[in-house]
Amino acid sequence: MPLDTSAYSLALLRVDGRRWNELRRIHAQIRTQAAADGSSYLEMGHTKVMCVVNGPSEPGPRRGATSGGGGGGGQSKNAEVAVNIVIAGFSSVDRKRRGRGDKHILELQSTISQALAASLHTHLFPHSTINISLHVLSQDGSLLAALINAATLACVDAGIPMTDYVAACTAGSTSTYAANDEGADPLLDMNHQEEQELPGLTVATLGDSDRVAVLVCESRVQVSRLEGMLAVGVDGCKQVREILDRVVREKGIKMIQEGTVERGVGLNDMELD
Amino acid sequence: MASLKRSFESDPFAQNISSKVYVRSTKSGKVQKIVREVYLRQDIPCSSKLCNACLKIAPRDAANRPIPFVLSEKPAGTSVFTQGHYIVPDTNAFLSAMDLFEQSSAFYDVIVLQVVLEEVRARSLPLYNRLVSLTKSEDKRFYVFFNEFRLETYVTREENESVNDRNDRAVRKAVKWYNEHLSKTSKKAPAVVMLSNDRDNLRKAKEDDIPAYSLANYVSQLKDGEQLLDMIPELEERDALIEKKPGQFLYPEHYTLSKMNTGVKNGLLHQGIFNVSPYNYLEGSIRVPAFPKALLILGRENINRAVDGDLVVVEVLPKDQWKQPSTQVIEEEAVTMNENPTEEGSDLISEKERKVLQEEAKRTLAKTTEGHALPTAKVVGVIKRNWRQYVGHIDQSSVSSSAAQGRKQDSVFVIPMDKKIPKIRLRTRQVAELLGKRILVTIDAWDRTSRHPTGHFVRSLGELETKAAETEALLLEYDVQYRPFPKTVLDCLPKEGHDWKVPASMDDPGWRDRQDLRDLLICSIDPIGCQDIDDALHARALPNGNFEVGVHIADVSHFVKPNNAMDTEASIRGTTVYLVDKRIDMLPMLLGTDLCSLKPYVERYAFSVIWEMNSNADIVGSRFTKSVIKSREAFSYEQAQLRIDDASQQDELTNSIRTLLELSKKLKQKRLDAGALSLSSPEIKVHMESETSDPIDVKTKEHLPTMSLVEEFMLLANTSVAAKIYEAFPQTAILRRHAAPPKTNFDELANQLRVKKGLDLSVESSRALADSLDLCVDPKEPFFNTLIRIMATRCMMSAEYFCSGTQSYPEFRHYGLASEIYTHFTSPIRRYADLVAHRQLAAAIEYEAVHPAVRSRGRLEAVCKNINVRHRNAQLAGRASIAYYVGQALRGKATEEDGFVMKIFSNGFVVLVPKFGIESLIRLRDLAEPEPAATYDAETYTLTTSGSREVKVELFQKVRVRVTDQKDETTGKRGVKMELVSTY
Ligand SMILES: [Zn+2]
Repeated sequence: MPLDTSAYSLALLRVDGRRWNELRRIHAQIRTQAAADGSSYLEMGHTKVMCVVNGPSEPGPRRGATSGGGGGGGQSKNAEVAVNIVIAGFSSVDRKRRGRGDKHILELQSTISQALAASLHTHLFPHSTINISLHVLSQDGSLLAALINAATLACVDAGIPMTDYVAACTAGSTSTYAANDEGADPLLDMNHQEEQELPGLTVATLGDSDRVAVLVCESRVQVSRLEGMLAVGVDGCKQVREILDRVVREKGIKMIQEGTVERGVGLNDMELD
Repeated sequence: MASLKRSFESDPFAQNISSKVYVRSTKSGKVQKIVREVYLRQDIPCSSKLCNACLKIAPRDAANRPIPFVLSEKPAGTSVFTQGHYIVPDTNAFLSAMDLFEQSSAFYDVIVLQVVLEEVRARSLPLYNRLVSLTKSEDKRFYVFFNEFRLETYVTREENESVNDRNDRAVRKAVKWYNEHLSKTSKKAPAVVMLSNDRDNLRKAKEDDIPAYSLANYVSQLKDGEQLLDMIPELEERDALIEKKPGQFLYPEHYTLSKMNTGVKNGLLHQGIFNVSPYNYLEGSIRVPAFPKALLILGRENINRAVDGDLVVVEVLPKDQWKQPSTQVIEEEAVTMNENPTEEGSDLISEKERKVLQEEAKRTLAKTTEGHALPTAKVVGVIKRNWRQYVGHIDQSSVSSSAAQGRKQDSVFVIPMDKKIPKIRLRTRQVAELLGKRILVTIDAWDRTSRHPTGHFVRSLGELETKAAETEALLLEYDVQYRPFPKTVLDCLPKEGHDWKVPASMDDPGWRDRQDLRDLLICSIDPIGCQDIDDALHARALPNGNFEVGVHIADVSHFVKPNNAMDTEASIRGTTVYLVDKRIDMLPMLLGTDLCSLKPYVERYAFSVIWEMNSNADIVGSRFTKSVIKSREAFSYEQAQLRIDDASQQDELTNSIRTLLELSKKLKQKRLDAGALSLSSPEIKVHMESETSDPIDVKTKEHLPTMSLVEEFMLLANTSVAAKIYEAFPQTAILRRHAAPPKTNFDELANQLRVKKGLDLSVESSRALADSLDLCVDPKEPFFNTLIRIMATRCMMSAEYFCSGTQSYPEFRHYGLASEIYTHFTSPIRRYADLVAHRQLAAAIEYEAVHPAVRSRGRLEAVCKNINVRHRNAQLAGRASIAYYVGQALRGKATEEDGFVMKIFSNGFVVLVPKFGIESLIRLRDLAEPEPAATYDAETYTLTTSGSREVKVELFQKVRVRVTDQKDETTGKRGVKMELVSTY
């Protein structure tokens, strides 16, 4: 078995060989499912998620089963962002099943809904719903961040007008809360083992700015360490944004080459608003 | 802040990523497959100060500080590598010879590979911790090289390759890389040498031209390496066992871990800690949840290589094999005396052992009455060995005459001081030097083919029976940390040293939220010569007719801040250990005996508990505060008593002590009414000659009312604080509980009292027990009651520290003190638990913020676990020290004393001599020469001898014994020897 996170101080290396300020490999694709309005697949290390976006659509007689609550209702001036997450039983090592009403899942849904509602121009689609459906295939930490990133990509793919990417990642600290170590290094992009053993937070920023769209911290950590963690997290979000942007552009160029999109309506010329 | 935002240098898509698959089994026995990513990189330095290339890629932390390089530019050489060398040990080398690497004479500049560190951690956490502390030691220069993350040294497991083989290959690859890498730095670069004790690994290294040696081979290249040779275990061959013929196996094979797990899960097998009877080395017992009484494990084959303290799995034997516990004393030394350490007999059970066992069997068969038989079991496997280092000496009789002179390697037996540990076979070249010395050894293995475990020599403590050697032996045996405090700890002390004073200005931050109690008439009462004064008291009458009583405790938490080096050291030590002539402090002297100690006439910081009490000693109100006090006097118990008794002394201070005494009597009565037990163990004081500190006399301690006085108020303070911190931290308060003993614990004692004295012992509650103990009196023999109390105490559970969240409230109860809730608060200088309680109380009264270490439940549980062990060890070490000095005090003297029979066997009996507080076994063969015949009646606890000497010995009987000193050949300890003079 590998060492635990306390081995960091031996050589400034994390349990998977990264330095404190390094992201894991991020691999992403968009337009993975032709039938949907927008779709994406994203891996952050071994965390693997899939996203399908449908809408914006006018509400039918029956509304979607679960709603994240962001944006507003079908009757409101803004489109509702309904997020539904399915976590596959095989996605984690303990293969625990989570039901639909699971509190943890409800919270993730609501967080993602609110995060995206901050960037999507929901006011353009009154009385309608944007359905974001997320599937978790494999979990190895930073789940919320991966879900936000995948949802952002799928929304771009669906062509829903938005201000900018909502890019997310996690940040942690190299020693436990109880160790109370003032000299602890901040950590970027935590994997599952690090999340289990160390304090951490999830942060999402809006585009290139330092505007924080999401900040979730569920572990106990000294305030003095928080600033460093946040700075590293925000910095990480910018790196994530670059990667997402590259994925979108590469796909766009490919689509132009394949003739799926008319030449002349280049991505760079696309008006976003 | 800017320093944190470093740009991502390498292209994240170009990183080398590899997946690693681990398989782990969970506690419930499920197997999980874990896939993890590994990021391979080329910027992990070799850490040699010779290498400039690596200096450029030295990793930096978030504050942009580079990691300093570890390996010396001028490493030591050996006879083969004159240019100097670095060492790369494999896993096996560390696991089998960690002591060697901790030597200060050699083993510098060591590269610890990540793969090795991981394997060591998986195999043994204690060894892993020792290895990690080596890597942190600056002078040993151990560098951890993360070979599994460096691109060039990473190896993937091949098809059909075992994990072990893959890891060995990874070690060889890393050594090869190091050699190639360093050869670029200069022509005369140091060699990088692999050390292994695995033949296969060494052979493969040779094939690949990698410098590699066995530990023995390597040590022989060192200057003065010969002394280290004995510390080296033998070469291992992984499949060596399988090649042996099945007929040669002496012991049944152990089950595999998964088979044991399955068995335990479906209730066929049971898991527990194996304990050996102190009177019979062939009898063990194990407590398992499924049985109310401990399971017996009888005989070598059933014990199947389990050693006292191991976590084992047992299978219960069929009912027709259930037996009574032995009533016979069986000592390993007497039975296995003539075994030859070099030849292993082909029979597991020697002739002599067989004879002893047959006698046992006959006796039990003849006597098996229903209900007396206990379930028996056999050990089928060991989950976790609890082997440690053992102190012992070489059995003179196992040494061949040639070995005693030459330097040939020879096998000898080491007899551990702890009688519960089997003798250990040891191969050594220094038999001649080690004879007659106290030595430290470890157990390496216990194969199926070997009757005794094999081990190796660690170091010598000195001549047997010298004070230095015996004291160190004692400290090692009870795992007392006795080394001087390291500099990092001393650095945490106040800079002013002994000149530190309570700040004169009350504006000083030290005075914040502290009450000024300097005008109170406070004094301390302690044993004579006490230097670490934890507690002081005061009492004064209030205008309303009530009394104000204060207990003032040294404010240690002011000086020891959580998580600094001093705190960590104290938490490891757990307690101060008191030996007869020595005190091993938990905290540095400066604090313990000066700055924290509530010395008289000087101002000191304190933590005070102050009650308002009515004259009936009922508490009207209580409060807690940090304070500054000035003790007026430090009394000894005797001085305080004299002052109280002297009616002419009518000063205010003396009168306040009288008030305290009156109130304490009422408090005590209330406790007794609630069912508190007054148990006893004889307390002995050894008088020393002041010049030579040689023991000259032994006396039992006298009990004075002033001792009760202090005790009662300390109990009250502890109880009050316990309630307060539990109220503030329901999940994480540090408390102390004493579980009610299982009723079956008293079965034997109750039966003995009924049969021998017609007395009843009722154990329904502590109150009932206290009352029935009061009635256990023999009008002719005042000591009888004390004897029964001593024996009852041994039926009790031991009290323990715990974290409040781990038990339900009813389980908090302190049985012995009949208190609902209890903690330790009053001795923070000498107990770590009290220091934690101080921090929690300070947070509870909002004096300071809660430190995370004080309210992390996991952390507190670990602290409790450690201090419970330390506390117990400290008590045992203290007792062993007294036993040693009693032996020394009696040296060359013979006295006749009265004693009492407290345990009886079919071939001997145990006598307690109250005057010295010692007990000793008198065997049949000690009674007369030749050994008299004897009949033992288990129903009436009577042993009747006939033939060479005719006596009748009964349980509880008063006897006259001659007490002399004698060197116990078995353990090498000098102890008392008793001979029966008469039975009155
Ligand atoms: Zn280098």
